[in-house]
Amino acid sequence: MTHAGGHTERVRQRTHEGFLRHKGFRWAQIASGLCVVAVGVYFVTAAQLREPPSGGSWLGYLLGTASAGLIVWLACLGIRKRAVSDGHYSLKAWVSAHVYLGLSLIVLATLHTGFQFGWNVHTLAYTLMMLVIASGGFGIWAYSVLPHRLSANRGEVTRKQMLETIASLDAQLQEAAQPLDRSGAAIIRHSIEDTEIGGGFWQRLTGAYDNCANRQAMIRARALPRPKTERDVEALAKVEGLMQQKADALALARRQMRITALLEAWLFVHIPATFALLAALIAHIVSVFAYW
Amino acid sequence: MAQEFHLKLITQRAAGGDPIIRERHLPGPELTIGRATDSDILLTDLSIDLHHAKVRFAGPGRVTLESISGVPFELNGRSTQRVDFNVTGDNVAAFGDYRLAFSPGEDGGAVIVVTREEHEHHPSPSIFSLKAKVLGRRNMAWVLGIGIFLTCLLVPLLGSVWLSHVQIHPDQQWSSGPLSKSHAFLENDCKSCHTNAFVAVRDEACLSCHKAGADPAADAKVLARSKDGGSPFEPRLVADHAPHADLSRATPLPDGLAPKIGTLVQRAFNHPTDRCASCHLEHTKPGKAAPAVDADPKAPLADKPTLVVVQDCESCHSKLKSRLTKTQLIDTPDWGRHPAFRPLIMTSAGGPKPTFQRLELKGAPQERNGLIFPHKMHLDPMGGVARQAIGLGKANGYGAALECASCHRRDAAGAGFKPIEMERDCAACHSLAFTRDAAGQLRNLPHGELQKVVDTLAGRSLDGAGGSDRARPGMIRPTAFAATGASAYRATFSKGGACFDCHSITWAGDTVQMAPVKLTQRYMPRGAFDHGVPEHGGPGQAKDGGYKCADCHKAETSERTTDVLIPDLAKCANCHGKTEAQTKAADDADCTTCHSFHAPGKATPPAGHPPLETLRWSQAVARKGAGD
Repeated sequence: MTHAGGHTERVRQRTHEGFLRHKGFRWAQIASGLCVVAVGVYFVTAAQLREPPSGGSWLGYLLGTASAGLIVWLACLGIRKRAVSDGHYSLKAWVSAHVYLGLSLIVLATLHTGFQFGWNVHTLAYTLMMLVIASGGFGIWAYSVLPHRLSANRGEVTRKQMLETIASLDAQLQEAAQPLDRSGAAIIRHSIEDTEIGGGFWQRLTGAYDNCANRQAMIRARALPRPKTERDVEALAKVEGLMQQKADALALARRQMRITALLEAWLFVHIPATFALLAALIAHIVSVFAYW
Repeated sequence: MAQEFHLKLITQRAAGGDPIIRERHLPGPELTIGRATDSDILLTDLSIDLHHAKVRFAGPGRVTLESISGVPFELNGRSTQRVDFNVTGDNVAAFGDYRLAFSPGEDGGAVIVVTREEHEHHPSPSIFSLKAKVLGRRNMAWVLGIGIFLTCLLVPLLGSVWLSHVQIHPDQQWSSGPLSKSHAFLENDCKSCHTNAFVAVRDEACLSCHKAGADPAADAKVLARSKDGGSPFEPRLVADHAPHADLSRATPLPDGLAPKIGTLVQRAFNHPTDRCASCHLEHTKPGKAAPAVDADPKAPLADKPTLVVVQDCESCHSKLKSRLTKTQLIDTPDWGRHPAFRPLIMTSAGGPKPTFQRLELKGAPQERNGLIFPHKMHLDPMGGVARQAIGLGKANGYGAALECASCHRRDAAGAGFKPIEMERDCAACHSLAFTRDAAGQLRNLPHGELQKVVDTLAGRSLDGAGGSDRARPGMIRPTAFAATGASAYRATFSKGGACFDCHSITWAGDTVQMAPVKLTQRYMPRGAFDHGVPEHGGPGQAKDGGYKCADCHKAETSERTTDVLIPDLAKCANCHGKTEAQTKAADDADCTTCHSFHAPGKATPPAGHPPLETLRWSQAVARKGAGD
């Protein structure tokens, strides 16, 4: 399973250029250049500024305008990715720029603050921005590491096949459990009817499935008294075997879900925090000028 | 023919299409229902017991359905253990997923149609994706976004208009930093300074508490308003450096391209850089404008708004005429090109008011103060004045030849001198006594108002005997009686009379006329000179031996009252602007040493001064009580 995946990966790495390496790190270079210039100008200029460095100096306004513009543009990725287009400004180029320019905001916006923080709407906007960037950073890690894991986990099995395996095992369980008496049948029903493959948000992220119905059913089946007839003993052994197979199939699917969850979870912070940031940014800008 | 059950088993195909129908005839009177393979009606649902129920005929067209496992079933949606019913009706029994529909059969038999409800659901691969029902990405995004928009923008915006009277200040969260201690009482009242939304804080807001008025009544009004407004401190009342329109015109753009553009942009956006708030910053940490080393721990900088120097003195006072054509001010681009002193010289002590003119010292200006007072005569160590002073003795504050301090007495602050008072500073020698009363006490002429002297002497004739022309305290001046028999009035104002030595006197018939006298207190009101500095001759240890009065003021050789005895700038430049290699007494040549922005005639106070605590109303009252 893994060796086959490994082979596929090696081929892929030779031919595929991810958004991080797009055009030989073009946007990484542009963003770094931006940061170096900003830091340079800041430390040369801040020493000459007459007032304490803050967002209100000419440099502060410059950095603030640039940062606000960047934030709005970065947020537009949500619109851009839904619009199918081709040509020079590919989505990959856009994502590459999104990642590196987004990271450059750590420098630009921090310089914009002049290192003055407080319990106010301005620092709220800054904190939300850092939260968005941090969650985005997690997303970069996820996108660079987890697809390999996903691929390694599933091997040659598709997600559809995983579900079909479980459904088929359920059907076999249903069939095999027919000779069992009421208590035995109830246990198998529990496994068939109550097993949740994925579960909730946190269950998926943590992979905690101790109360999985199939697992409980297995424990209860093992505790059943030995059936009286040989036929029933065989039937019980068969369903136990099937439940074990189901447990393995569930584990595989759940690992896939956990990795998928990790791959997607950061968006649950990134997107809402972005909306919160945009609102806080508007409040920050309007309030600054309302009480100029 | 006996009653029998006609069983119809209908199975839906998983892939759709016509269902499979199998039919069987089962003889009565009883059928078993269950999961066991030997059941007559085999139902493979695991929720059904192996031997679950029985159905039997209970008469023509009537059956009894009964659970034999103790597990109930449903008939027409009602849970039951046993039920009799006519098969003529549309009765449907439910066992797990199975539906058993009863209808009449031949010969009083029954047809049972068995169907299985398929409610299996096959999860789609989309369940691999993360979904959250309540806290979905979109829901959270909108809730957070709208929540922050309302809480942080709309509520404060509307609240500042409608909630200010109920002491709720949602706009507090907009404050970018704390106010200095001096303004901390305004922390909750944003609109006290930010009077108009989207308009930068205007000077009017500051001046409502800080404007130095034209008269003390106006000042008192401003102070009262501040106190009523809740200020725990007495605000410093300040005047502008010059008329604001002139300042705006006279101020050049700052040095450097970026600050130039910044200033122009700010002006374009109605955020001018010549406001009070341009230099006195609030809501920010203390800047480096006044380095911490200069800060006096007793006057913390954080107590006051952060002061930044937006324009230095030189930048405006260079090529000033090019921007402010009407100005009389001479450029001072730097200390080396500081114009020579042009002291304010009294050109006439009389008229309704004395008149003054700024004149350069090199033109040897003449001061007309109305008095006759040769400094040389008074300071000559071998002269008669010296002899008389020695004669007066130490007990009377003399006992040696006169020196400057014999008449010029330092004021309380020590920076300047008290105005000369005739009675205190001259009368020890220049006696004003003119007679003795019945008890033998000397009576002095009133000094200061000519008419009072004339009234005092009216109708009086001369008496007494001659003697020395210089009178000691307690003696009547001999010359007052020189013209025995003449009127005391005439004699007092004539040569040899008490007034004649110092005052310019003319007669219009019998009416005496005296030139008005006014002594200059400050020759250079546009600059501060501190006589209290040790190097300037004040008390204390000077760096290189302090100056003596005579080093600057050529009084010992001045024979005429009209001589202006103040030194020129060159004297200052002996130390100021020099390096320590040049002179041990070297000191800075900063504009602020002698001038300040709001009061050009005073030195700029040290950073943080006066200490805020001294401005508390209680302290201010005590200070005023002490005559400060």
